[in-house]
This record gives sequence, C-alpha cells and structure tokens, in this order.
Amino acid sequence: MKSYKKLAILAVPILTVVTGCTKLDETLNSSLTRSEATAALGTQGTALLLNAAYTDITGSFFSQDAVFSLEENTSDESLVPTRGGDWDDNGVWRVLHAHTWNADHGQILNVFNSLNKLNFDATNVLTFKPNAKQEAEARFLRALSLYYLLDLYGQFPFREPGEDLRNAPKVYSGAEGVNFIISELTAVLPNLNASDPITRATPNAANFLLMKCYLQKGAFINRATPTFDAADMQKVMSLGNAIIAGGKYSLTANYFDNFSVDNDIKSTEGIFTYPNTSGVSVNHGGIEARWNMTLHYNMYTPANPNAGWNGFSTISEFYNTFGVNGTPTTFSSADAALDKRIGEVPYAGSTNISGLRPGFLVGQQYNENGVAIKDRKGAPLAFDPKISANMIETGSNLEVTGIRVVKYVPDYTSNGKYYGGPAGNNLMIFRYADVILMVAEAKQRTGDAAGALKIVNDLRATRGAAPLTSMALVDASNVDAPNTLLAERGRELYWESFRRTDLIRFGVFLKPWGLKPNDDPKNLVFPIPSQALAANPNLKQNPGY
Amino acid sequence: MKEFKLLLCFIMIITLSSTSFGQLRTVTGKVTDNKDNTPLIDATVSVVGKSVSTKTSADGSFSINVPSGSNQLRISYVGFADQTVAITSGNVSVSMSAATSNLTDVVVIGYGSARRKDVTGSVSSVKAKDFNQGQIISPDQLLQNKVAGLEITTNSGQPGASSTIKIRGTSSIRSGNNPLYVVDGVPLDGGSARPNIGGAFGNSPGSNPLLFIDPNTIAQIDVLKDASSSAIYGSRGANGVVVITTKKGTSGATVLEVGTNFGVNVGFMKRFPILNVDEFKSALTKYGLPSTLNGGSSVDALKAITQKSLSQNYSLGFSGGNEVGRFRASFLGSRNEGFLKKSRLDKYIGTFNGGYKFLDKRLSIDFNAIAANLGETVVPVSNNAGSTGNLVSSALQWNPTFDFRKDNRYYYPTNGSGNPLALIDAYNDKIGISTFLASISASYKLLENLEYKVLYGINHSVGSRAANTEGFLVGYNGLSGQGNATIANSVLTSSVLTHTLNYRTEVSEDLTVDALLGYEYYKANSKGGGITASGFNTNLDEATRTNVPYTNIFQNARQQNPYGTGASPTVEIQSFFARANVNVKDKYIVTGTIRADGSSKFGSNNKYGYFPSVGARWVLSNEDFMKRGSTFSNLSLRASYGITGNQEFPAGSSSEQFGLGAFNTSNQSVNGNPDLKWETTKAVNLGLDFGVAKGKFYGSLDYYYKKTNDILFQTVAIQPAPNSASFINLPSANLINSGIELALGSTLMDKKLVTWDVNFNIAYNKNRINNFNNVLTGLPLRILTGTIDGQGVSGTLSQVITNGYPVNEFFLKPFSGFDNNKNQMIGDNPIYSGDPNPHVIAGFSTSVRYNKLTLSINTGGAFGFMIYNNTATSVTNISSIAGGRNIDRIAYNSSEGIASGVGASTRFLEKGDYVKLRNATVRYNIGKAGKYVKNLTAFVSGSNLFVITKFHGFDPEVNIDKSRGAYPSQSIEYVPYPTPRVVTFGINFSL
Repeated sequence: MKSYKKLAILAVPILTVVTGCTKLDETLNSSLTRSEATAALGTQGTALLLNAAYTDITGSFFSQDAVFSLEENTSDESLVPTRGGDWDDNGVWRVLHAHTWNADHGQILNVFNSLNKLNFDATNVLTFKPNAKQEAEARFLRALSLYYLLDLYGQFPFREPGEDLRNAPKVYSGAEGVNFIISELTAVLPNLNASDPITRATPNAANFLLMKCYLQKGAFINRATPTFDAADMQKVMSLGNAIIAGGKYSLTANYFDNFSVDNDIKSTEGIFTYPNTSGVSVNHGGIEARWNMTLHYNMYTPANPNAGWNGFSTISEFYNTFGVNGTPTTFSSADAALDKRIGEVPYAGSTNISGLRPGFLVGQQYNENGVAIKDRKGAPLAFDPKISANMIETGSNLEVTGIRVVKYVPDYTSNGKYYGGPAGNNLMIFRYADVILMVAEAKQRTGDAAGALKIVNDLRATRGAAPLTSMALVDASNVDAPNTLLAERGRELYWESFRRTDLIRFGVFLKPWGLKPNDDPKNLVFPIPSQALAANPNLKQNPGY
Repeated sequence: MKEFKLLLCFIMIITLSSTSFGQLRTVTGKVTDNKDNTPLIDATVSVVGKSVSTKTSADGSFSINVPSGSNQLRISYVGFADQTVAITSGNVSVSMSAATSNLTDVVVIGYGSARRKDVTGSVSSVKAKDFNQGQIISPDQLLQNKVAGLEITTNSGQPGASSTIKIRGTSSIRSGNNPLYVVDGVPLDGGSARPNIGGAFGNSPGSNPLLFIDPNTIAQIDVLKDASSSAIYGSRGANGVVVITTKKGTSGATVLEVGTNFGVNVGFMKRFPILNVDEFKSALTKYGLPSTLNGGSSVDALKAITQKSLSQNYSLGFSGGNEVGRFRASFLGSRNEGFLKKSRLDKYIGTFNGGYKFLDKRLSIDFNAIAANLGETVVPVSNNAGSTGNLVSSALQWNPTFDFRKDNRYYYPTNGSGNPLALIDAYNDKIGISTFLASISASYKLLENLEYKVLYGINHSVGSRAANTEGFLVGYNGLSGQGNATIANSVLTSSVLTHTLNYRTEVSEDLTVDALLGYEYYKANSKGGGITASGFNTNLDEATRTNVPYTNIFQNARQQNPYGTGASPTVEIQSFFARANVNVKDKYIVTGTIRADGSSKFGSNNKYGYFPSVGARWVLSNEDFMKRGSTFSNLSLRASYGITGNQEFPAGSSSEQFGLGAFNTSNQSVNGNPDLKWETTKAVNLGLDFGVAKGKFYGSLDYYYKKTNDILFQTVAIQPAPNSASFINLPSANLINSGIELALGSTLMDKKLVTWDVNFNIAYNKNRINNFNNVLTGLPLRILTGTIDGQGVSGTLSQVITNGYPVNEFFLKPFSGFDNNKNQMIGDNPIYSGDPNPHVIAGFSTSVRYNKLTLSINTGGAFGFMIYNNTATSVTNISSIAGGRNIDRIAYNSSEGIASGVGASTRFLEKGDYVKLRNATVRYNIGKAGKYVKNLTAFVSGSNLFVITKFHGFDPEVNIDKSRGAYPSQSIEYVPYPTPRVVTFGINFSL
C-alpha cells in the first residue's frame, strides 16, 4: 500500500504537467494570419490591402537610387560625379552613366525587388474577394509594375493570386509581356472610376499607361532596331486625343507649379500622382531627395551646411538642347528667356526664403538676401558646367562642377529654410504634357510631321519658348540635337524618370553623348539581378550578361 | 502522451526499488577544516553504497542512521577533497583538507549540479574568487579570458556596452549566436527592454542584456560547451549555455558584507591616430591648402569630449541562516561615469534569495529575486552614422587649430565636421530600464532518494527612452533650427515553469545512478512603441535655451507622426527531457540525455524536435594499473556526442502574416513557411583531464567538431513576394566549427607567507561553410553583409557568407597603392581578403600573494583575424583635409594626395591580433580591525591598462554592429565609443 500512497503524491506533479500542455499554436499579437485577416477585416480588408499596394509606389518611384536613377543616370539627362570623398559609393553611380553595370548592381536589384513588391501586393488584393472596382485598381497597379519591369529587365515574373510563394513563378517577356499588360489594362478600364482623385487609378491613368505600351511595343519586341506598327501608333493617337478632348487637364501656366509643394492644387496636369503630406513621414515617399540630391551642401543657408547632398548634375550637352533653331545657350541667367522650363527666375515660396530658383542652376548662386553663397572651402559657389571625363572630380572646384537641376521646388512651408523633414510635394508619375508629346510622336512616326510640329509648338508657346522651325524625330549622329522631338521630350520631361526608355525607343541609347562613348547592345536591357536569377530558375539572364 | 507513459513506468521502478532499509544504527560526529579546525557547515555525509545522507549543522556536527552491513562514510564539501572514513565507533570525527585541484568542485549542469569528476561533457566553471577584477559593469566581463573557447568581445567602451559572446566559434550565420543564459534555473530570453532608436546620428548601439545582474552577487558561472552538457537545453543549446548561480546564505551567524569602490577614467587605452595640431599645420603646408584653414588655436578634440569624473559603487550584502533556513539580501548602488562627457550608467539592484525547509526537511522552498533599475545617459555615438557623422567622428574630424567656441557661442566650421562639444550639449538622451527576475521553487523528497521539484520563474523588463536634440545645433538638415525628439518604450516578459523528478541512488558500493526527468514550459512576449516629433519652439537659439526637454512638451511640435506600436509573436516552448548518469566504481561514468522541444516558432509541419546526447568519462587514475606510484593524481578521458538546436530566428517567420500599416493599409508582411524548423548542430567532443604532482598542476585538453545542419537562413524570396527575403532551412548546407582547447592551472607555491597561482588557456577554432546552395536552382549562395558607412561609401558591403569560407569572410576590392597623381588605386572586383573571426584566443592570469598583499593580473588576446577600419575609410581619409577636417596620420604619412578618392578596399583591412592587459589589482588584506570589522581589504586596480596591437583604431577588441538585414557582421570598427583606461580603488569588509 505504501507504494500506492506515494504514487498518489506523484500524481500531483504529473497532473500539473498534463494541464500545462499546450498546442503551441503561434499567437502573432500585432499581425494577422490569412484567415484572421479575411474574417476580421471583411470587405474593408480588401480596401486596406489595396491602399498598401498604392503605398508600394513609394518604394520604387521616389528615391534618388531607384527607378529615377536607372532611368535618368543612364541617360544624357543626369549623372553623379564622384566629388573627392563624396559620392564614390563603390562606383555605383559612375557605372550607370558609363553603361558598365553588371548583374550585382545594388540599385538594379533593389528596383527589381521593390517593383515586384508592388506586383505581389496588387496580386494579393485579388485573393481577398475584391469588388469590381477594387479588382480593376489592383490590376492597374500590377500592370504599372509589370510595365516598368518589362521596360527595365525585358521580362517579368508573374504569380497567380494565392500561389505558393516557395515555388518559382512563370515569366513573361517581349511581345507576350507587353500584350499581357495591354490586355490587363483593357480589361479593367470599364471598372475604373473617372471621378476618383488623380492619386488613384482612374480610366485616364490606365489609358496613359496603354499609350506608353503601344508606343513602346516596338522597342520591347526589338530593342536594337525598334519598328513601330501603324496600328499601334493609331492607338496612341486615339487614346491621347480622347484624353485631350475629355478636357479634364490643361497645361499649367507656370511650369514649376507642377512640382511645387502645393502642386496638388496648382497643377492642372496630373493624371496619376502620389500624395505626400508636409511634415508627415508615414506613407511618405521622401520627395525631398529630389532636391537634396542635387543641391550643394551650403545651399539652404551657409549656417546649415549639410542640407544638400551635392551630387546629381546634368551635362552641358543636354542643357544645350534649350538652344533651339541655332540659338545657342549661354550658360547664364540670360538663358531664362529661351524657355520657362529652364527656370532661373525667382519662384515665390522658394527664392524669397533661401534664394533658390528652381530649374537649371548654372553659375553663381545667391541666398535670399542676394548675397553670393560660398562653397565649403570658401570659394564662390558657382556651378561649372564642365565635368571630368572620368566622372571623378579631384580639382579644387570639385564641389561645384556640373549643372544642377531642381525640378521639384523645395518645401519651405513648414519651417522656412531650416525645414528638412518630409516634404509635401506630390510626385508626378503621369503628366498631361506627356500625353501631348506622345500624340505628336505617334503622328510623326506615321508620317504627319507637320501635325506633330504644330502640337509641339503649341506646347512650346505655353512654355514661353520660340516655335521650332523644324523638327526631326531624332538625330542619330547627335543625341542632343535641339530641333528634335526627342529633345523636346527632354526639355519637357527632364528628370521625370522617362529618359532611358525614350533614348531606347528613339534608337540612340547606345550612341555616344557627353561623357559616354558608344557601348554594347546588351545594355539596352538591364541584367536580371544575380540574386533573383539564383532564386527563380524560370528567369533567363539577358543576352550578354 | 508517450512521454507520460515513460514517466509513469519510471516512477513505478524507482518506487519498487526502495522498499526496506533493514536495521539501522546511529553514528554521530563532527567535520572540521584541518587548517584551523573550524567547523564545516553543510558538508554532506553519506553512507558509502547506500543512498543515506545528511548535512552537518552550524557547529559542524552530524548524526546519521547507518544501515547494518555498511561501515564507511563519505564526507564531501565544496572546495575540499572528498574523504571516505571507516566507521570504527559511534562517533566519527573528520578533518578535511582543502582541494588542490578543481575536481572536487560542484559543477552546475542543466537542471541540477554534479561533482566535477562525474561530468562527462566539457563544462568550465569559474568561481567568484577567480573572477576578473577591476571595473566590472556587466557579468560577462567577470569571465573574459578565463575560459578556454569562450570568446567575449566587449563591443565598445560605452559603460554597459553589449558583448559578442561566442562559445567555440560562430555556429550560426544569423545574429543568433549568443549562448543561452540561465540564472538560478531561469532561462533568459537574451533580449533587453532598452528601446533602440535611430535618428540624425544613426542607430545607437545596444547595451548588455545582463546589466541587471549585480556582479557582486554571482557565486559561480558555468559554461556548458559541448553537446553532452548543453543538449539538455535542446533547441536552445546549440550556442552553448552560460549558467549563472548567485550567492546564497549559509547557516551560521548573520554576516554583513560591505564594499565600496571608486573609479576614474584616466585616459584613452589607445588613441585613434589623427594629426596633432603641429602635424595638422604642416599638413596644410604639405598639401598647399589656404591659410584660412589655420585658425591659430590649439585644441585636442578627442580629449575635449572625454571626462575623468568619479565613478562610484556601493554594495551591501547580508546573509545568514540556520539548519532549516538561509537567506541572503544584497544591494548595489552604482554610478559609472562614461569616458565620453555626459554619458553615464546608474544601477540600483536588489538581490534577494532564501531557502527554507519544512516537514522534517523533506520540503524545501527556495526563492530568488532580482529587482533592478538602470538609468543610462547616452551620447550621440552610433553604429551607422552617415555623412553627417556622430560625436566621435566630429571629434576626429575637428580642425585642431579652431576653438570650439567663438564670441561666446559654439563655433561651427563650414567643413561639415560638426562641433563635438555642441553635439554633446544639444543631445540629451535618457534611458530607464526596470527589470524584475524572480523565481520560486519547491522541492519535496518523495522518497529518501527521489525528489520532485517545481520551479516558476518570471522575467519582466520595462524600458523607456526620451531623446532630445535641441534645435540650436547648427549644421544638421532637418534638425537645426527646429529640434527633434523621440520617446520610445519596450516591454519584455518571459516566464518558465519547470517540473523535475530527480532520482539518485547508490545501487551498490560500485554503482551510482543519478536520473532526471523533466517538463518545462517557457513563454516570452515583447512589445514596444515609439513616437518622433520635430519643429519645436524652444531651444532654437543657444543664448535663449531653457531646461525643459522637448520630450516633456511633445505636443508643442509642429510635425508629429502617429505613435507607432508593435508586439512580437508570442514564443512558447514546451519541452520534455531526461538525463541519466551512471557511475561505476568512480572509473566509468556515462551520461545520456534527451530533450524533446516543441516551439511555437516552428512551422506547423515541424512542431517538435528531438535532441539526444551521450557522454562518457573513463577515470584512468582510479584504475589499479595507474594507482601505484603514479605521477597522476587525476587522469580521465572524456568523449561525448550530441545534437543540439538553435531556434534564434524571429518569431512568426513560419506563419503567413498580414501586417496592419499606417493610415489604413494592410499587406502581407511575411511569406510564411510551414516547414520551418530549428537548426541542428551535431557535435563531438574528446577531452582529457589531468592533474599531476598531487594536483599541483592540472588541466584539460579538448577537441571538438561541430557541424551545423539545416541552416536557418534568410533566403532571397522568389519574386514577386511580400518581402525580399524569407526564412528557410537549407538541408544540405552546413557550417563546421572545429577546434582544440587547452586549459592549464597550477598552484606554484602554497606556503603560509607566499602563494602563487597561475592559469592559462588557449583555444583554436576553424570555421567553414559548405554546400551553401540555393534549393531550387542549386546555384551557390553568396550573402553580402558588413555595411560600410560614411560619406562617399554608401551602400558598400565588406563581408560575404559563402561556400568554402568562414562566416563573414572579408570581401573587398583590392588596393594596389597610389598612381602617378597620388590617387589610391582600387581594383574593380572584390576579392576574398581575410577572416574576421579570431583563430586563436588565449588568456593568462596569475595571482601572487605575499603575506597580506596580493597581486592579480589578467591578460588576454585574440590572434589570426582581420579588422576593417571603417573610420579610416570614410571619416579620417585624406580628402577631408581639403575642407579643413582632420585626417589620420597613416594617410598623412603615405604618398597619397588630397584629391584621392574615398572607397572601401583592402587598404583599410588590418591585422587584429592583440594582447590586452585587462586588469591588474593589488589587494591588501588587513583582516580584522577593531572588535567587529573582519576581512578588511583595500585594493587598487587598473583595467584596460594597455594593449599591444598593430591595429590603428581605438581598440582591436571591437565589434560594431554593421549587420545587413538578418546577417550579422564581425570585426568592423566604425567611430566607436573609445575604450578608457580605468583606475579603481576600494575597500571591502564584513561585520
């Protein structure tokens, strides 16, 4: 009996053990499982997921080292010279402009990942029983991401909603890819709402992207020698004319109002934009990078020396394209008279606060009191158009080489010239002026040069620029010949993340310009990042890499 | 439920096997120390061959019932050699002599303790008397260089800096390399409730998670190194286990111990080699720079940011007890002044424990509690300062010919260096952490040899932080003219419930069995939040400043973001474990353990992991053939094999997660992987323990081979995906650590007037990654990490994790000298350029006593590794002088011109080998003073006295966190908090 008594005592701890048993189901605490998300958020949940997909735009389209960099620094519009100890960054900036990148380039990888995050989040909306409009918006956002992936990498991975993420997805490329995007956009158009704000997917945003697809199709199919199908050009014209005839948009009288802190009110050109709120960093894209990246360290005020990052510049050949009809530019403020888009004139809310005049910055810079600004060595802060051939500045003027470009007017609303927080300028992703230029291009590509010239000259009139006496599509012997449609696109859309695509479509991306010699045809498309290639056996490395 | 069946069977067996004791006789006696005949209290007296034992009382006496047929008693006491005596009469007196080797020590193993000579695994045990001395802020510093194969790198000179602790090399490619800490039976979660924030100056480095433990209260630290000893901790054992045991009261009169010490940072242990004012002036001439860059003054910016304030430590402990109860309470109040001005760490810690016996000593209730409050004032030192720098970079770059103040205001040169003194003044960052660690346990002797124990422990830690950067500071975009403030908080809670059944029997004189069965449930939660605002209306001008911090008037800010919060997924671990130790004739000892661990972190397809181990010891010196006239007082061979796990990956990685983001957004945040499981390490250990000349010389030699499989790895997600990376196991990949450890000790002299102890340890480790390939494509993986920061090097990575190389191999572009234009030449493609993991670590300590005066010295070093000098790359590089910033002497003495570019390369990769005099202490033992004062001791001690190295930085013992995502970095220096030389003096006594 003694033993049993002891067994009874033992039963106490054992019972404690048994009752202590747990199933070990994970409690997430601040996130939800898929089933919880479906149940708890209901139909509201789909809207939240859709919001998140819109927010993904911040990942790819804002930063100076994302889509902007791949589109602009690889072109004649922008480069980042190494300035002594600054902007070497392991050579990542120079190789973009010199067209000597490889599959390990960090920006090429990050853009691939961030565009695919948009691709994923938009696709994921479709697994949450969206209504017709939500589905249309999600598929538009996915098409936006696929378009940029196809443009940059020549192929894109595609997952069906709900696919197992551990499996490799299928891959589209070339004609199959662009046709898929076109079919998607066409399918969702009827379900988009024309009265939605321009920060959401409206029918015109979809039509704009369709225009880009049709215009670009020939280049997507054959980048080395693009051919343009007349039917596609016709599509571009009809879609563009419909947008124009719709009367929702007009050219903004003051060009820089399109990019100011209150561009949501002042601009009449926005078709698809991303909203930013001054002083709020949440869901904010960091639009302030667009001026910090180019402004000199001392340009807010000499007492605030690290405001600017003193990096991005343009080349003098590009600046020269403003000298149309044989009238050369002078690299001085006198050039302001040539074209309002050059800037160099005071802008209220900027010049009176910090002295800064938006547009192209050449020569001596002044503060708000008209006092000449100095660089960090005490030399005059006068931007010098000449950049070293190897893009490595080592001279005593290394801080001031290169013409600077301030397209987005710095947000000084919140705290005057000291303001360095999240800026309120909305990002222009699709702009009305591009619709006009795309229609002109389609006209010219289908033989209507006169029609194209008229459209372009009407635009130029609004921009305070003399009419072009003649206009070729492109001058293959001189990428920066002023009297071309390509040059007009540059003058209107500079630093708006379209230039590389345009240069490829106009067949001159491999031609020499400024500091870049002739280069290898493989560069017409970026390599698939080696990390992505190692992960997905369905991706095939682009030829030459 | 299988486990419970086993448990029941086991209980049946032990219950049946212990039925009758037969006839008894009572033997009484007394146990004393042979040195001074003082009674030994709590010594264990047992009947040889029977499981009958008792403990001596306060006067050293005992009384024991001896079964008929038994005629020998065994007496054991910590620190003394075991004695077996024949029972010749009813009264036995035993005089014990102190042990000359550590073999009689009790070693704390998982869920219990064992005599050192019964241990089959590799366990290093360090007792309080052998701890490191001098300025000890966190408990791990007590062990630095004391244990072979234990690499403790204090990451920087910040008071309370975190440490990188590795037992036998890097066994994980993730950040989960820290050992498991167990404090008085309670496993810690290894985290700290110190909120980490980023800001204009980068992310501030973390602090040591063990700071809440008062180093004065630690009695012993045991390091479980091999699988035989750590496998009992299953899926948390792969990195080894550090078991901390606090001091307990003993029976006898109540003792009051008082200690106080004062410390001063007397200067840099080693300076970063920047130009002094004369060199700077000649540099201006050498490089043809304008005379405006010579401000005509002479300052030492590095000195200007440091302080020599007095650190103070006061500790008080009292303890006592009787036959049925014991207690100890101690208190620590300390203020450690940092070496950099304004930085400080205050600690207030109370430690309480006690144990009481009831029901004729069958029931014991024990409790342990630590209540700690830490206050920290942090200066703007950061791991990843960008182009705007931080405090240390500002001081390094400061033009030594400029005064810090001009016209009664801080002077800000226009060269972007910032003003270090203004930075200290404008930055106010205070952290408070309250930690509570408590456990209570009850043990009940169900039978004479069967004990059931239940332990419940809770660890709760709350941290808050208020950081202010005042707007008067000039030169920082977004800060200057507006000010910035952050409030953050963090809460960690973990609890553990452990049930164990311990059965110990001497089956016969030749066979002892010790068995353990257990169940454990562990749960941990963490959460935190923070808010940042900018655009305040006060303190925007230096002349009109107020004393009101922004964090007290948060609503005043013009720009505010919503309060952001988050909680990590709950971690639950449920475990069943068992251990059996069989000792045959004290010659053959075998230990087997098994643990089954279920964890909520694991994927639904892999909830439970099983971790077995086996170990054996053969005590050759107890064999007859060795006993005769042997020079060996001890000679044993050990061998063990076992499997341990590592589950240090972020909770929630196996689940598909949908996050709820800002302003009504939601998206999938984690890809999910239901197959995710622990990482498995299979380890072999072969060991030799020896003692010669009656234990005068003793030591251990160990060889180990550890192979980590199923590597838990944050792989590149297959796009499109919600995240660019997700956790998987790589079944084929493995990480191998193999090495040799040697520990030697000797008491060279043991006379009344003079004693001399020497200890030496050295360990060699080799680390390799193999078969590290993508699962789908089979292509080799190459993970880049080791972020290099600073102006001009953004986005540069310096280390690689890949096949055929050690973890974090340096991967840098080759430097090939200077070209004709005096510009540095750097190759286009990075090369494998060196191992950041020390191949050899060694420690040497000695203690010499002459009469009442004792000198103790502890030195240590690491060899065979490289350090990347990120500071020289991007902070003190030559081009800085063109703008009037100071540069380093190495660049100045090179043929480099000032137009040379900035870039990371092998040029800044330096040999890290070092030998450091960690501590030298002179102690004078006055002894009794007056009627009451006993053990009066005065000491003076110097820490970090010097370092011998070729490395050109502040300290070769450095590991700034330059991790990229989930991949840690190793051995990179970047504008760290400098290491000071510290002199401490103090007095201890007891009443």
